[in-house]
Amino acid sequence: MKLNPRTPILLFIAAVSVGLLAFDFDWLTKTLVLMAVLGAICYMIIKLDTQQRQLEELDRLRTGYEKLDKQAKLIIRTDLELHRTQEELDRKLTSLFALQELGQQLRVSLQPDAIYGQLNAQLLTSFGFSQGLVGVCRGTEEVTWQSMIGVHETAAEQVRHHLQASGWIRSLLANPAPRILTLPTTDPNAQKLLELLSASTVAVAAVVPQTGPAGCILLVREGQAGEGRGDTELLGILTTQLSSAVENSALYEEVWGSQRELEQKIHLRTRELAAANEQLTKLNKAKSDFVSAVSHELRTPLAAIKGYASLLHSGQFGPLVAAQAERLGKIEKHADLLAQLINDLLDIARIESGRVTMLQRPIEVKEFLETIVESVKPQIDAKHINLETQLDGITQLVGDPTQLLRVFINLLSNAIKYTPESGTITLALQRDGAQIRAKVQDTGCGIAPEEIPRLFQEFYRTSNAVNEKVKGTGLGLALVKRIVEAHQGKIWITSELGKGSAFHFTLPVEPAKTESA
Amino acid sequence: MSKKELAAIGSSANPDAFSAGQAAALTASKQLAPHRVQGVIAFASSWYDQAQLLAGIQNIVGQVPVVGGTTAGEITPLGPKTHSCVLLAMAYEDIVVGMGAGGHVDQDPRLAGYQLAQQAVQPMNGKPRRGLIMFGDGLLTGYAEVLRGIQEVLGTSSPVTGCLMGDDLRFTRTCQYAGDQALTNSVVGLLFGGACAIGVGVEHGFEPISKPRRITKAHENILYELDGQPAASVYEEYFGADVLENLRKEGGLTRCLIAYPLGMQLESTEQYLLRNIMSFGQDGSLICTGEVSEGSWVQIMIGSKEPALEAASLATWQAVRNLKAVRFVLIFDSVSRKRLLGRAAADEISRIRKVIGPAVPVIGCYSYGEQTPLGQDYGQWRASVQNGACLIVAVGTEK
Repeated sequence: MKLNPRTPILLFIAAVSVGLLAFDFDWLTKTLVLMAVLGAICYMIIKLDTQQRQLEELDRLRTGYEKLDKQAKLIIRTDLELHRTQEELDRKLTSLFALQELGQQLRVSLQPDAIYGQLNAQLLTSFGFSQGLVGVCRGTEEVTWQSMIGVHETAAEQVRHHLQASGWIRSLLANPAPRILTLPTTDPNAQKLLELLSASTVAVAAVVPQTGPAGCILLVREGQAGEGRGDTELLGILTTQLSSAVENSALYEEVWGSQRELEQKIHLRTRELAAANEQLTKLNKAKSDFVSAVSHELRTPLAAIKGYASLLHSGQFGPLVAAQAERLGKIEKHADLLAQLINDLLDIARIESGRVTMLQRPIEVKEFLETIVESVKPQIDAKHINLETQLDGITQLVGDPTQLLRVFINLLSNAIKYTPESGTITLALQRDGAQIRAKVQDTGCGIAPEEIPRLFQEFYRTSNAVNEKVKGTGLGLALVKRIVEAHQGKIWITSELGKGSAFHFTLPVEPAKTESA
Repeated sequence: MSKKELAAIGSSANPDAFSAGQAAALTASKQLAPHRVQGVIAFASSWYDQAQLLAGIQNIVGQVPVVGGTTAGEITPLGPKTHSCVLLAMAYEDIVVGMGAGGHVDQDPRLAGYQLAQQAVQPMNGKPRRGLIMFGDGLLTGYAEVLRGIQEVLGTSSPVTGCLMGDDLRFTRTCQYAGDQALTNSVVGLLFGGACAIGVGVEHGFEPISKPRRITKAHENILYELDGQPAASVYEEYFGADVLENLRKEGGLTRCLIAYPLGMQLESTEQYLLRNIMSFGQDGSLICTGEVSEGSWVQIMIGSKEPALEAASLATWQAVRNLKAVRFVLIFDSVSRKRLLGRAAADEISRIRKVIGPAVPVIGCYSYGEQTPLGQDYGQWRASVQNGACLIVAVGTEK
């Protein structure tokens, strides 16, 4: 039972009062003593009250202090939790940034092997790991480290040897999913690996791309086991990223390799073609030189043959019998044909060798056509051929008049040759942009399509009834082609069997510019 | 190049130690050319082969004093780094530097300090001594004795500052650089003399959160009892025994408690000396990173980012306020603060650079302890190892 602090005081007052009444004191003394006792008692009561209040205040303070301390404990525990959450958040944010950075680095990596080396110390620590080994697998037995972070070369070599000797590489590639190895473990291989890396926890995964070299990753995290939460997910993302990068770079390497091979082949073929072309040019020049030299050598004796035959034929050396005159006439005719052939060959050789320069003169079309028609008029009249001209308002051509005359006469002579009696030949000129297109069309037998590409070759003659009857050198069209090309023009043929053929060629409107112009 | 610009920084994250040291030294020495490098302060990750790293540095700078050591993170002007090497090379004609080293700190710390100072003072040749920057093994204690050894030679008229080197929170082995040697269980230092002044600023930004308790039993860095109770029970009381047990099982107890150091109130001031808990003893004791003295009052401290960042600004201001011009700045930042700040650690470097200006070369490291001068009594410097602090050392010219 708790006593009121005033109870002893009241008992004391009662005792003093009884004492005073019991002793024989005068009233004054009794009153003074009583008053002194009462004063002391009052003082004691006040003192006791104050003390009581202070004690109660102290109790309240103590309680408040304890409550504050409890709150401090709460604050510390909350802060610890917040701190850990913040750290985890920081780690994840840093990992995300690091993954992004890695992604950017991987995008510019072109060598599959080098991709595994992109996982450097800075990135690794950003992921929260302190040590790491990243390697490229050769087959399923061997691994070569591309990145060694925080692991000494000797330790890395020991780990490599252990992984290879224990068959870990094979099993890792067979089951590439990320996993965490932690001490204590019952797996002796894992135990050895952890010991070699002096780590209590190692995150392991394999990178198995569809194309390109496979790899393996071993990452060690220092610190709390709890900090490794999410390591398998992180490693999963990492391996996927690396795998895609390896595939991309392997693909790129393949494409690049093919392109390089193709380029090499093109380069080789171009060189071969250039060499062949050079050889052909040399051969062609040699041929032209040979033809030119031979033609020159032939022309002199031919001129003598022709001269003597003509003299004999004229009867200056006595009268000739009919048979003699006929044979001499044939000699003259064949000598003329041979001279024509030699001249054509010489012209072709000269044009090919560039020894002939085509003049670039204006040619009045009207007069030019009159000359042409005059040249072929006897043959046209003989076959009653209708010659039509279509000039499209063109009054002038540009070129070498002598050579172009040969072109037109040659083409018209051919057309007359193959056009039947009362047929039609059309000579047309047409403006076509910066050039003039000329056409010589007949209504003859036409040319077989397979023969068209060979028509401009020297000595080629089409196999038809007309050619069997009429002699020719087979050089006319070859010469025409070279003259047109020497004028920077093109020549081609359109033909339909039984309906006729058309020879088209182009000539420039303006004089051709020289390189120095 | 003017005199105040004769300090240059180089850094490298090359995974090869020799290449990293060489690249960092080359970057710095190129900036100083044609001047010859007179001394180097280097910090590097503990993951490197330290001998190779120093060989790489000396391959470029030659046989000049190289001091520093392994860290719990490197500080470059661009922000915090890991797995890298950062160094500051000097080439001042008016500054004299002397390197010293002392070994066997665990056995005779006083002698280690004495040897360090004896070697460092040699090149001074009567020039005024301005201050010593020392680098100790972060896994050892006894630095009060090291300091006494140093002060036996150098006296107490110049500040002794520096840090205790880390090992990337592995707590296995730290290295201290002395020339081409990577020492352990040692203390190395670089004494500055000549026409320079050293400004020091230190703040931590931690605040007390628990009830104050009196240290009733302690020996050196082992705290046995608080208010007659096993010291570890205080942490159990505040964090919860189950939480601590889980942290212990996960192996992250020490790393986690770095953010909640013990604060030992200094006599006659409102300052707190911070002590990290390195481990829990079997007998319920707490093994701290620095000495704790019986009779002192201690409290569990708590920190938050903004006060920590403000503390860095304040410490920088303290360091540079009495200097006429700042030549270079060294940051010795507690690893506790790095953990506290997390991704905001880069902001701390930015704030420091904001105070000193962008042109001043600055490097540093995250350390296991900071050798902090606690002010002067009648011109005599007092110093102590502290944890959780941001220590700024500015080398410049006197006002």
